[in-house]
Amino acid sequence: MLQIRDLHASVGGEEILKGLSLEINPGEVHAIMGPNGSGKSTLANVIAGRDNYEITGGDVLFDGKPLADMAPEERARAGIFLAFQYPVEIPGVSNLEFIKAALESLHEARGEKPLDSVTLLRRAREACKQVNLDQGFLKRGVNEGFSGGEKKRNEILQMLLLEPRLALLDETDSGLDIDSLQTVAKGVNSLRSAERSIVLVTHYQRLLDYIVPDHVHVLSNGQIMKSGDKELARELERKGYGWITQQEEASGA
Amino acid sequence: MNLAEQLKEQALTEARRQAAREDGLAALRREGLAALERTDFPGRKTEAWKYTSLRALEDGHLSALAPARELEAPADFGGHRLVFINGRFNEALSQLPDEAGLEVIRLDGSSEAAPGASTEFTTPFAHLNAAALEDGLMLRVAANTAVETPVHVCFVSSADSPATSHTRLHLELGEASSLDLIEHYSGDGPALTNAVTELHAGPASRLRHYRLQSEQTESLHIGSLLLVANRDSRVESYQLMQGSRLRRNDVRAILAESGAELDMRGIFIGRGKSHTDNQVCVEHRVPHCQSHQLYKGLAGDEARLVFNGRIHIHAGARQSSADLTNKNLLLSRGAEVDTKPELEIYNDDVQCSHGTTVGQMDHDALFYLRSRGVDEKTAQRMLGLGFVNELLQALPHEGIAEWARPWLGQSLEQQ
Ligand SMILES: Nc1ncnc2c1ncn2[C@@H]1O[C@H](COP(=O)(O)OP(=O)(O)OP(=O)(O)O)[C@@H](O)[C@H]1O
Ligand SMILES: [Mg+2]
Repeated sequence: MLQIRDLHASVGGEEILKGLSLEINPGEVHAIMGPNGSGKSTLANVIAGRDNYEITGGDVLFDGKPLADMAPEERARAGIFLAFQYPVEIPGVSNLEFIKAALESLHEARGEKPLDSVTLLRRAREACKQVNLDQGFLKRGVNEGFSGGEKKRNEILQMLLLEPRLALLDETDSGLDIDSLQTVAKGVNSLRSAERSIVLVTHYQRLLDYIVPDHVHVLSNGQIMKSGDKELARELERKGYGWITQQEEASGA
Repeated sequence: MNLAEQLKEQALTEARRQAAREDGLAALRREGLAALERTDFPGRKTEAWKYTSLRALEDGHLSALAPARELEAPADFGGHRLVFINGRFNEALSQLPDEAGLEVIRLDGSSEAAPGASTEFTTPFAHLNAAALEDGLMLRVAANTAVETPVHVCFVSSADSPATSHTRLHLELGEASSLDLIEHYSGDGPALTNAVTELHAGPASRLRHYRLQSEQTESLHIGSLLLVANRDSRVESYQLMQGSRLRRNDVRAILAESGAELDMRGIFIGRGKSHTDNQVCVEHRVPHCQSHQLYKGLAGDEARLVFNGRIHIHAGARQSSADLTNKNLLLSRGAEVDTKPELEIYNDDVQCSHGTTVGQMDHDALFYLRSRGVDEKTAQRMLGLGFVNELLQALPHEGIAEWARPWLGQSLEQQ
């Protein structure tokens, strides 16, 4: 589904991703861990198509097509969804209006009829229940004045409604209380299917107890340093990142 | 002859032709003509017209009156509706209100009740309006009358070649009375609407005034609005407009007696190559009055928005409270906003604040929307509407808010 080969990318002229390769197949759940500033969000933003994030080398292919040629909205319509590490506040635009516009464009891209407003509202309310947000959040401005945890749950709410094929969750677990973490995990697990792939960017083993990954990668200094299965995450929890970066240095020396 | 002189010449010719008519409007026309003779048209060096050129009038707008036409009626917000087409009252499209205490007087020369020309208007366009008026409207609300249904006055201007419609709306709101008044300007073609509106709120009265300007891009509008708030009255004025080839509003609000309160808000949308210039002056003439102003401008494409907001507090107007905010959002590189607050305060016992900003669309918000599948244009429209949404939500008339949303959305989409 997603193939990344020797990706180099820079932000504001500075190279952040330095030859990163990763392959994600339908139905797989990948976890990406790594120290602060290692380039995890950069990778997520490059995939979602944020401007200023420039691909300077290598390929990113989605369904075999280069993402570099696609506008962010085209990527979303192709089925890519990024849950932001820092969701944006948009005063004056209601959450429901936002969801409606997003759904309409996705339906249109698939050649489907837009949902009638009754069905839309019903689904939005169900999704609210699923992520444990009061229905009142639909009427409020997008993320406007939401607490950190509410913002994260609002991302999951949108993900549930938009039903992406590739969901990238950038630290959606950070700042969540224990109950919210379980709510979010349940939401993500409800989306798991043989066609859908999920990438979890996280610092915490705990999320991976609830959403069990097929693969775990360690990203450091713009490259994938090590890949493994869920045991790798446990090992990291015990030994810290130093273990891997030192290993790397040793083998490089 | 330069442009200002040419325009004056044209205006005078037209005014003299009209002044020959002997009817109920004759006195008003004569006053208008006399004032016009004394007044120069603005030129490049006229400060108040620094950003606005009258080149668009070069094609002879001022020498031709727009002919009467049959046109479709504009938006209906319910309530009493009075329709003018190219400056002439259209009975077929209008429903004359039948409410006790509300008097509707045609200013078509048939009645002697015509008001004199106000000396508060200073532009040659307001004088020309008085001098060349053919048809207008005066509303009078008797003391202690609450008019239940909004009065909606529509001015439609349409022409195939350059021509002018002069429109005039006059209101006298009696003591302790109340009224919701909608004035709506619409139309198309190279028609110039030269509008004069004069609203007097009597003691302890309440006026809710909506001023909608939705003419098409190729049209021109020059408007003069005078609001006078008397003792303990409360005046709310909501002004929504989209840009067109030339749009200029000279708004003057006078807090004339103690205890008066003014709340004025506006949404200005510039699109295409439109030019919109709003010059607002709020005058506190006496003690203990309040004025609040909030305007938001959105400029896309190569549009130009000009705003000048003056607060003038007279020496005797102690304990005045006045604030003014003008926030603007630029939607494209080619757009331009020139905004300036001006304070003239002649005593120390006042509370006064003002602020103007010009910003750009939030990139992160735009990406957030797009990353969820919303295309760039729709995302811009949503953010633009989001920017003015607080003003739309605060509109007391739901029908107008409902009408304005898609209308403003459309003009944003043409970016
Ligand atoms: N606009 C920018 N200009 C310059 N450098 C940037 C910019 N954005 C990000 N960076 C840098 O890129 C590097 C990678 O940042 P990124 O956000 O991808 O890290 P991360 O792995 O997600 O870290 P965290 O775990 O703290 O979220 C950091 O050193 C950061 O300072
Ligand atoms: Mg990050």
